[in-house]
Amino acid sequence: MKKLVNILVGLAITSAATAQDAITKGKELFGDMKARHIGPALMSGRITDMELHPSNDRVIYAGTAGGGVWKSSNGGATFNAIFDEHCQSIGCVEVDPGNPDNVVWVGTGETWTRNSVSVGDGLYKTIDGGTTWNKIPGFEKSERIAAIQVNPKNSNEVYVGVLGALFNDSDDRGVYKTTDGGKTWSKILFVDKTTGCSDLIIDPSNPSIVYASFWEFRRSAWNFNSGGNNSALYKSLDGGKTWAKIHKGFPSGKLGRIAFAAATSNTQILYAVLESEQDKDKGLYRSDDGGANWSKLNGDFELVVRPFYFSRIEIDPRNPDVVVKAGLSGSISRDGGKTFKTLGPMHSDIHDVVFDIKNSDRLYAATDGGVYRSWDGGTTMEIVENIPVSQFYHISVDNEDPYNVYGGLQDNGSWFGPSSSPGGVEASDWVRVGVGDGYRVLPHPTKKLIYSEMQGAENVWRFDPAKDQAKTIQPLAEKGDPKLRFNWNSPMATSAIKPDRFYMGSQFVHRSEDMGETWVKISPDLTTNDPIKTEQGKSGGLSRDNSGAENHCTVFTIAESPLDENIVWAGTDDGNVQVTKDGGKTWANVVGNIAGLPKNTACWHIEASVFGKGHAYAVFTGYQKGDMATYAYKTTDFGATWKSIVTPEITSFARNIQEDYVNENLLFLGTELGLYITLDGGKSWMKFTNNMPAVSVHFCDLQKRTNDLVMGTHGRGVIIIDDISPLRQLTEEAMAKDLHFFKTAPAIIPESNGFGGTATETQFVGSNASRSAKIVYYLKKRHTLGKMSVEIQDLNGNKITELDAGKSKGINIIQWPYNIKPPKVAAGKTFVFGGFTPLRVQAGTYRAVIQKGKDTFTNEFVVQNDPNSSIPLADREQNQKIAKKLFDMNQELAYLVYELDETAKAAENVKAKSSSAAKTVTPLINDLSKLKDKLLITKGDNYVGAGEPQLREDIAELYGKVAGTFYKPSDAEMRNLEALSERFAAAKAEFKKIKDKHLSKLTEVSSKNKLEPVVIKSFDEFIKSSQ
Amino acid sequence: MKRVFVALFVFCAAAAQAQTVDEILAKYFENTGGQAKWEAVQGLKTTAKLNMQGMDLPLNIIQLKDGRQMTFAAFQGMQFYQEVFDGSTLWGTNQMTMKAEKSDAETTENFKANLAGDFISPFLNYKKKGYTVELLGKETMEGSEVFKIKLTKKPIKVDGKETENVEFYYFDAADYVPILSESELKSGPGKGTVLQNKMSDYQDVNGLMFPFSMTVSAKGQTGGQTINITAIEINPKVEASVFAFPTSGN
Repeated sequence: MKKLVNILVGLAITSAATAQDAITKGKELFGDMKARHIGPALMSGRITDMELHPSNDRVIYAGTAGGGVWKSSNGGATFNAIFDEHCQSIGCVEVDPGNPDNVVWVGTGETWTRNSVSVGDGLYKTIDGGTTWNKIPGFEKSERIAAIQVNPKNSNEVYVGVLGALFNDSDDRGVYKTTDGGKTWSKILFVDKTTGCSDLIIDPSNPSIVYASFWEFRRSAWNFNSGGNNSALYKSLDGGKTWAKIHKGFPSGKLGRIAFAAATSNTQILYAVLESEQDKDKGLYRSDDGGANWSKLNGDFELVVRPFYFSRIEIDPRNPDVVVKAGLSGSISRDGGKTFKTLGPMHSDIHDVVFDIKNSDRLYAATDGGVYRSWDGGTTMEIVENIPVSQFYHISVDNEDPYNVYGGLQDNGSWFGPSSSPGGVEASDWVRVGVGDGYRVLPHPTKKLIYSEMQGAENVWRFDPAKDQAKTIQPLAEKGDPKLRFNWNSPMATSAIKPDRFYMGSQFVHRSEDMGETWVKISPDLTTNDPIKTEQGKSGGLSRDNSGAENHCTVFTIAESPLDENIVWAGTDDGNVQVTKDGGKTWANVVGNIAGLPKNTACWHIEASVFGKGHAYAVFTGYQKGDMATYAYKTTDFGATWKSIVTPEITSFARNIQEDYVNENLLFLGTELGLYITLDGGKSWMKFTNNMPAVSVHFCDLQKRTNDLVMGTHGRGVIIIDDISPLRQLTEEAMAKDLHFFKTAPAIIPESNGFGGTATETQFVGSNASRSAKIVYYLKKRHTLGKMSVEIQDLNGNKITELDAGKSKGINIIQWPYNIKPPKVAAGKTFVFGGFTPLRVQAGTYRAVIQKGKDTFTNEFVVQNDPNSSIPLADREQNQKIAKKLFDMNQELAYLVYELDETAKAAENVKAKSSSAAKTVTPLINDLSKLKDKLLITKGDNYVGAGEPQLREDIAELYGKVAGTFYKPSDAEMRNLEALSERFAAAKAEFKKIKDKHLSKLTEVSSKNKLEPVVIKSFDEFIKSSQ
Repeated sequence: MKRVFVALFVFCAAAAQAQTVDEILAKYFENTGGQAKWEAVQGLKTTAKLNMQGMDLPLNIIQLKDGRQMTFAAFQGMQFYQEVFDGSTLWGTNQMTMKAEKSDAETTENFKANLAGDFISPFLNYKKKGYTVELLGKETMEGSEVFKIKLTKKPIKVDGKETENVEFYYFDAADYVPILSESELKSGPGKGTVLQNKMSDYQDVNGLMFPFSMTVSAKGQTGGQTINITAIEINPKVEASVFAFPTSGN
């Protein structure tokens, strides 16, 4: 024992020293503060790759464009995220066929290279079925991994096809191979800096045979090129040592992206879809001799559409003539590729399809709107409903209670939904407010109207959700105007000062003072207007692709100062930062004042500060030039000078910044790999990882009433950190204390007590904000040794209730749902609901008392009634009064039953002693039994076999009804109370009568038989006991 | 609540500046009372309470080295048994009928598969039990620097398919006690959810250190259910009948 004590003392000293030395940051600092996810999942998001377990048909993996990797263990009914800590943009997932339960490889970086595609950060491997992931060195700059193939006969032999960088030249492309499970790699096929490996397949019957397709491609912010002389399909017969093109039967000239597949049931049968110079040559080719000869079968639209976006072929593993091609709708051939029909209705843009390992009627499709399952070979498709990987470009919030979140989604329209909802935030809570690709959605600052848009501002709507009426209001070219260039993701803004004011940006800033009815251009062309960057009609390469997604030299962000309506900032996608101080009469391009910012780096966001008219933040992204650096700056003088506010702690490029409205030094930075927070104005940054994936944060907003940080992520929907106000109070002084309480706003007792939502078992439901009172404190060190407890007291020190303490180092949040405790009900044969219903605390000031070892810490906090309640105070007080009366009746009855039971037990003991004793006490036993039958249910079970309710059940029932609401009890309830009170009084009287009649005899006989007299605890002792 | 019971007595302790997992585990047993003393424990009787909306639900838990165990609670005058094992049958109280019912065959088989291993600590003589352990490195949990240790127990079956049985333990590198464990729910409505069990309030019982507070929650979610232990009796006298499956219901 002494040894143990010595050890503990030693440990305490060691840990104290450690605590002093440690710098508290990141995970340590944020402690209990957790992000919550509200989806939505009803339209899910882009899925990039499907992968099956080779022998267990319940296990399915889905790689997503921005939401990481998801795994199903129940045949696709539901999925769980398994890759949250790492880059969420996924190129491919590969299960090791030699060890499929444990070893899975993930190549990051989506390879469907649309304009908004993100970027990967390398190759990962798990050896425990996805619980932990290890990053494999050597692929840090791979950016996009198209394929991974593991030799089915040798798990250490792995091929990786790297597509590589999209926006720039790169040596990190081609086919890589390891023979030691990933420790060392060699690049076994490289073509050039512009051509990457777009697909890779091992012949499953002979793993020495490897096929690789290569694609010459390049994107800029204003142009896309698919195809060139270096695109090719290669075959190796010797495990990648030597390679030969297999083009016999292919058209001559340039090729683009090549989709490619080999039939597992007959590996001589290959299919390829070619993108070529001549339209007549584009289409599906088949080889029946392992690629030695090819012949064209079909050039249908679904086969050749947008090769950069759709380039997968799937062959039924049991029938080489059943072929599926990913496409706009996806199509299936059952005659070896001669003819195709489209797959059944589902979300458009199909990126991958896989057939179940055992049953060809079952297949899974990866679409722009989630994973779909089919049970009939692809004719009927149904969506998986619990994968919230929606890709927001932007979000905004209103000031309703609960507030709503608005935003637009990649290929999934525009929406708004509540931040909390009865039963959680469900699919049915979301309201559609736009079609096409959705981008910015803004609520009118004071009216219940919504502005939304679709791609390229083709439509901008002012929507009245109450009337379900939309009006198109976008600025249009007038006489003398050049063509208006709207970004694919066009900026809109409202004013904090003039509620009806509305801004849009093309190459100009447009302003409306009447909610979009009439527009005035308040700027000249604010962009570089570079003619080279405005020829989108030529974009696409071998397949023309002029969707508008490459529109460039456009205004991308607009911000009116919340302090002065004449100060407006505009940032452009070609790298200008323009500011006007006179409502648009004159503009100054101040980007040249930013030292260190490469020219023409896209200005992604400007945040006009609340702390000074000349204060603003600007965030730039260079990733569309291949520049992954982080650029965020602050000015306090209208852009005359700028200060960089980023540090090497941030590991990816940023898109958005949000300042706190109270603490100027508290900033939130949305980056491609998650959220970063600074407490010191950008001198140092910490990554927030508590239930926050490393997801691309496209936009953040701070809800002013709740202090919630709301994030629009491009891959995991809306994520919220509730009430960031403790971060405002994190000072060095606070962090130096063993325990520091944060000030909290008065807690409002919620009065809602509805019936929850409508979600079914397999649907995603977003978690709600807690409405409990919160006791928030900072712990310098994690509490591990010795006792720690929390008590809530009134200001006189009377105990109200106990709570469980938070013990994490950093911020701890204890929730108190305003409960005191439920009544102790009489011991019976059935549950009574009232026995689970706690009495609620009243509005007032309370004290949290934390006992930590020998130290006591106290903090006062305020609980208030809902100021917007429709229930008059007198009614609420009446509710409390009657609830308390019924609470007491429950406990008094419990005590009466306890006393009755103890007496009966004593009588039974006596009865067993002798027949004369039995004769004496039997009338008592009989009387008690008869009375008890009126007091509570004594027979039956907890379901439909229960007996008729008696006094215990009736009192608890009425208590549950009253204590469960805030309303004044109804007349019926009051009359019921009166009746119950009378029955209870009668029961008490009857018990007294029985005791008066029999108790002295019982005592006498007990004494004669040398039995202890009945000892009854006091009421207080009984209530405290566990009896 | 059943999950809380499952997680209740899977604990261990203490790591040091040690480099290997075996050194960490040896240090743990040494620091918390000594391996011999842990090995001498034949049974535990634990009294604990769950805080349910301000009301204490009292629990009584008995665990024996041979795998027999019982959790008992009384509420509103009714008596509940959960995860009771008498050596062959795993059973509990149905809360509708208040009668005893056997667990399904697979749950019982899975329980038996790791029967001998989990008592007092899965790490105690883990090799003899057929378990494997691996030190995965250091990270931050509960704001503290911790050693992450992977524990692989004997495989279980999930809906008929054999499945690896893995848990992760996080040993505080400063206080030298484990503060958190993680395991994935393999079946049921929460399948795929990672359960966390946070351990704290370590206190001495006859020279052995036990965590007196355990909070089980779903990873990433707020809240959870805390069990606060009020007393632990080492090597209690227990009648075999307390574990027996009642022949005429309970």
